[in-house]
Amino acid sequence: MTLVDNEVRSGSVSLLAGESPPGRRTDAVFRSAAALAAGAVLLILGLILVTTTRNAWPAFAEEGLSFVTSSTWDVAGAAFGTLAFTYGTLVISAIALLIAVPVSIGVALFVTEMVPKRVRAGVVMLIDLLSSVPSVVFGLWGILVVAPALTGVYTNISSAFSGIPVLRSVFSGDPISGRSFFTAGLILAIMITPIITSITRETFATVPRAQKDAAYALGATNWEMIRGSVLPFSRSGIVAGVLLGFGRAIGETIAVALVIGSSPQITQRLFSSGDALSAVIANQFGESTGTYQAALIGMGVLLFVITLLISAFARTIISRAERRIGAESV
Amino acid sequence: MTTIDLRDGAPDLGAEPRYSITRSKAGRRRQAINFLAHALFVVAFVSIVIPLTLVIGYVVTRGMKVMSVSFLTDDIPIVTRAPGGGLGPAIVGTLLITGAAMLMAVPLGILGGIYLNEYGAKRRITKAIRFLAEVMTGVPSIVMGLFIYTTWVLAFGVSGFAGALALACLMLPVIIRSTEEMLRLVPIDQRQSAYALGGRRAGTIFRIVLPAAAPGIVSGVLLAVARAAGETAPLLFTILTVNAVNTDIFHGANTALSVQIFRNAQQVFPGPQERAWGAALTLLLIVFIFTLIARAVSAIFARKHQI
Amino acid sequence: MNNSGIARRGSRRIALTASAAALVLVISACGGGSSDEGAPTSTTAGTKLSAATLNGSGATFPQAFYETAIAKFQTVQPDVTVTYAGGGSGKGQTDLAAGLVDWAGSDSTVKPEDAAKFKTPFLYFPTVAAPITVSFNLSGVKTLRLTPEAVAGIFGGAVSKWNDPLISATNKGVTLPATDIVVVHRADGSGTTANFTKYLTKAAPTAWTLGTDKVVNWPAGQQAGNGNAGVAQIIESTQGSIGYVDFSDADFAGLRSAEIKNKDGKFVAASLSGASAAVAGATLNADLTYDPLDAEGATSYAITAPTYMLVSTTYGDTAKGDAVKGFVKYVLTDGQDLAAYSGFARLPAKILSAAIAQLKMVKVG
Repeated sequence: MTLVDNEVRSGSVSLLAGESPPGRRTDAVFRSAAALAAGAVLLILGLILVTTTRNAWPAFAEEGLSFVTSSTWDVAGAAFGTLAFTYGTLVISAIALLIAVPVSIGVALFVTEMVPKRVRAGVVMLIDLLSSVPSVVFGLWGILVVAPALTGVYTNISSAFSGIPVLRSVFSGDPISGRSFFTAGLILAIMITPIITSITRETFATVPRAQKDAAYALGATNWEMIRGSVLPFSRSGIVAGVLLGFGRAIGETIAVALVIGSSPQITQRLFSSGDALSAVIANQFGESTGTYQAALIGMGVLLFVITLLISAFARTIISRAERRIGAESV
Repeated sequence: MTTIDLRDGAPDLGAEPRYSITRSKAGRRRQAINFLAHALFVVAFVSIVIPLTLVIGYVVTRGMKVMSVSFLTDDIPIVTRAPGGGLGPAIVGTLLITGAAMLMAVPLGILGGIYLNEYGAKRRITKAIRFLAEVMTGVPSIVMGLFIYTTWVLAFGVSGFAGALALACLMLPVIIRSTEEMLRLVPIDQRQSAYALGGRRAGTIFRIVLPAAAPGIVSGVLLAVARAAGETAPLLFTILTVNAVNTDIFHGANTALSVQIFRNAQQVFPGPQERAWGAALTLLLIVFIFTLIARAVSAIFARKHQI
Repeated sequence: MNNSGIARRGSRRIALTASAAALVLVISACGGGSSDEGAPTSTTAGTKLSAATLNGSGATFPQAFYETAIAKFQTVQPDVTVTYAGGGSGKGQTDLAAGLVDWAGSDSTVKPEDAAKFKTPFLYFPTVAAPITVSFNLSGVKTLRLTPEAVAGIFGGAVSKWNDPLISATNKGVTLPATDIVVVHRADGSGTTANFTKYLTKAAPTAWTLGTDKVVNWPAGQQAGNGNAGVAQIIESTQGSIGYVDFSDADFAGLRSAEIKNKDGKFVAASLSGASAAVAGATLNADLTYDPLDAEGATSYAITAPTYMLVSTTYGDTAKGDAVKGFVKYVLTDGQDLAAYSGFARLPAKILSAAIAQLKMVKVG
């Protein structure tokens, strides 16, 4: 490989007619063009990080650590504590993951273990269709169809749980609304399931045949084989899928803004309204100025940093898993 | 014996053995658990198909109530609460803005992907760029909108172009990564043969590698465009959603299907709500068509390389 | 495609400026400009405006009126395109301050520290007034009478159930359930919020403790909507809810609204005549702002809000500046006939003539 590279670079080997010096120049031009393009990514990302942090700085400077730790968000009084929004983001993401992860794993196992090979591609495409639906369409459906329909359901659940001591504080009490933490979490779950499904499905497909056959040889049922061979082997893939779903849930803006209720509060009652980091930026940025605007941009920076950390973490897990697969398949 | 055997081409373990382990009580319990597990898988599948059917079902049924050729071409009513009208300006806006974003992001993205895989494969900076591109794909789209607002809009005003810039920022990392993946799949033998015959890097890339990777790259581009067409958050602060049509994307406010849906979803009157469903149907059709073409193209690619 | 668009626009701009300049010369040569001094009912159909696009954003309170006026204005002046993006008074003020729009709608006055941020100074032009309704959705209840203290209690969080004594005291014949009140406020920066809270500060100073601004520190557990229409949507779809919505949206959406006890002690329902009565007694400030909230008069509706068009004092682009002046003039003259149709109260002649006179202060070119 290196020998060929050297020869090409020096241009001494030229059996094809028509390889003249302009060819070398074209190569150099093209190479620099490509390098510039790659540099553009670096530049844009760097710019985003730098300018948004710079614009958010007044808020950080004024609030200090209370920007993230304080729950007092008072625009008129110039107090910008974002804790209630971070809480909202985490709660709806947690609800989304609690629903989406078991469903995704179930769907992935359904596709890899129960669906005949011929139909598999069609089923996969069906699920991927869900992932191509834009967020605003989910939001429209959520606010005009789901939220009104769920209000009645929530009221029933609330009265059912009103007697049970611990769960009562989560599911009962206070004005109940279809536009609430739980609805947002539910819609998010529907949105992130395709991603988690696709990653876990690919992970399941890479389980070595030998492992699965070994389980069968020992007399395992299909489920026992899954539990003994597929799932343990796919642990990192599942974790990676969960992390990526989490990242998507955290950043989801429009659908959440429409169904969460837009009223920041820290409460354990899942059927009452709240607010989230991305949603409040979408709702309030247009009219903000000064420190208020800096605070909203600061929330964007916060989201950026969180997604960065999650991506990095997911990536290390995936690469570690890939290395292990590579090692084991030898 | 009733063990379910769903693997393809597996030896037939369903043949009745002489000594059956599974007829015992423990065996029956294991059978039951096996059955339950598979039932749960089916439940999981059904519980993801139901929302999919519901979303698409509602969009189609409510959208079809207003859908017509005149809906796609008529002006948006100036008085928001008025019923009827169409979404012509929004469709024009979506096509113009997404098209402009494509023109900026696609060449840059493909070139960048080529650099990462063909030229810079051994450098450390390539790893950094690759990592950052991957991170950028996960950044909330609203951050891109904020970025363009503070750097471009405050200096040059709102315009369709500002929205296109924000969308291009979204599309760029996706296209770079998918291009790089596709190029990596082209077998090294093809490249080496070209070099052995005296070809240069650029020539090899243009004549051998790119054509081989083209279907995959095209598929990646189409998926990125489909995503960009449906995005709302980056456009919120950059185009100042109005109802009038504006074919000049460099000057003045503009509109798009996604932001129109967002705004009309929060209206109380049936007129704008119906237009929102119609817009959602239109958007879904656009996105689905792009996605299906992308999958078809990549399927051709996969089949070609399986030979 | 893009390049030719810019070039075409550039040469078009030169042509526009030349023709506008010629027009101004002709008019002033005729000893004109006199149409600005006419009675409020003089038409502006005479002067044909050259092509221009005006982008506006801001308050959702008067949005239905501005849109109706724009639709009619564009039939009178077909070469001018006017847009109004809504978004709330806060957005309108911010957009105009940054020069992103050509005019803004705002129900509340701009705070002094925000006024300093404007690239070009601006003027207030009062356009219409309308009631802020306290709309509710409670099955079986058709009318509700509320005192300012009750309203302050409901929106401030002190009153949480429908059968609270503050409410039942003034609604003797009505069966009020013991359910929770779902309160709806604005999520975005809103002049309607500013006016509503300003009213509560005036009429129920001890009961209302949250101050007044476009964004207020509402108690936890309430719902929030985007724009007046968003709030109306939540009220319409939520049983047991109550919120503040402009009269036009509430009326057209079929929401029920409460009768509010006014300063004279009478329970007056939200209506355009109630709004006109409230505006009639208001004093006009030098900058043409006025305050019809908590007005005196037996027939005045207590929560009547003003709304203004914010216009810059100078416009460099002649076509644009002329178009802005033409549109404002239209709104203040023929446009007033459209007010009642879209659910707003027209302003009394004295306010309109003062506003038309202020148009002279807008410099063009």
